Amino acid sequence: MRFELQHQPSSTIAVCNLEPKETLVSEGGALMALKGTVSVNTTTHQKGSGGVLSGVKRLLSSESFFLNQYQTTQSAQVWLCSALPGDMLVKKLNGEKLVIAGGSFVACDSNVHIDLEWQGLKSILSGESLFWIKAKGQGDLLLNSFGFIYPVHVDGEYIVDTGHIVAFEETLQFNISTASKNWLQAYLSGEGFICRFKGKGTVWCQSHNPKSYGQELTSYLKPRG
Amino acid sequence: MNVKEVGSSAFQILECELNPKESITVESGAMASQDVGLVPTTVMNGTFFQALALKFFGGESFFINHFLNVSAKVQKIHISQTTPGDIQCRKLEGEEIFLEAGSFIARAGDIKIKTKWAGFKNFIAGEGLFKLSFKGHGTIWYGCYGAVIEKEINGTYIVDSGHLLMWPPTINLKLKLAGGLIDSFLSKEGFVLQLEGKGKVQLQTRSVKGLAQWLNTRFWR
Repeated sequence: MRFELQHQPSSTIAVCNLEPKETLVSEGGALMALKGTVSVNTTTHQKGSGGVLSGVKRLLSSESFFLNQYQTTQSAQVWLCSALPGDMLVKKLNGEKLVIAGGSFVACDSNVHIDLEWQGLKSILSGESLFWIKAKGQGDLLLNSFGFIYPVHVDGEYIVDTGHIVAFEETLQFNISTASKNWLQAYLSGEGFICRFKGKGTVWCQSHNPKSYGQELTSYLKPRG
Repeated sequence: MNVKEVGSSAFQILECELNPKESITVESGAMASQDVGLVPTTVMNGTFFQALALKFFGGESFFINHFLNVSAKVQKIHISQTTPGDIQCRKLEGEEIFLEAGSFIARAGDIKIKTKWAGFKNFIAGEGLFKLSFKGHGTIWYGCYGAVIEKEINGTYIVDSGHLLMWPPTINLKLKLAGGLIDSFLSKEGFVLQLEGKGKVQLQTRSVKGLAQWLNTRFWR
């Protein structure tokens, strides 16, 4: 399986070249086009893991309920896209673990195992997704972003606004807190939550925050009438 | 201080390096990522009443963040804006400029933000009763939705209200109907701004209001 990114960085799409017997797992709604004979199965979970519950969990992480599995007997191509303008990132996993922020996952090789991880009570208060996706295994992973992606190699400590996180290596420890020292000020300032990373590893950040964009737009939208 | 606009023009952000003891004032929520040596202080955007006026009349935040480098090394911060688009940098040497509400991202140096009465005509055009004035010595950064068009005006020029990004005090704004009364209504152009005077203005190629209008017609039919 080989991902090829086109039209970077503002209107990126990914072309996935599938070889026989390979399976591509993608988030529901990401498909743009198919070439070749491809069978598509829609499930709520990956093979051999969880059931409907994992679909519910995925909903909570602002991913879609269903996963699509693409299989082929001849070589085929699957075009994948994302809803917001922005870039994509292909990350090859070699046994290591990656934590992906809700909404950033697009697709992966079926040899990559994805699961959800509860982020604790604080994440509810922060208004961010309750779950982050944890990926491990062997194979390629496709992520998307709002805007462009910049990697930061952390050695020591680093701070990222939670709305700007795409993914990070599991070797990093993290702690979610408010940007200001006190909660009242944090609430009044409209400032989001930040993630303080510690240790050694890479965090991939996105240049723009989908939630801020949504908030700016929402103020002009009409209520249902 | 070393500030660069990075990214393609569709998605520009600021990459800012601060030397020890240097500081930058950033719009609330605009910090994307930062080194830990930069300590934020949340402060009111001016005095209490100024901040209140800025929030309710100027569409700006009541609180802003002041990042100070307390470490002994150069520290980096990435500053983003809400919409996709270009970021503009402007050095002020005592002069005054006006900005569209919500476009301010960051400032360094001695720059005062004020809300100024813009007249009822602006309110009708959906621009608010007040305009945002930036004056002083220093640098400000502001963002736009889409790309920026710079236009040298001498005489009159007409702009749709959501697309005017920056203008100097030498330019006066006048509210006008886009066409006749019925035409303006039917064409959905509504009111437009007539700029009069001499000076350089900046326009943005997209408007959030425009996108919202487009979405609104598609939502609840």
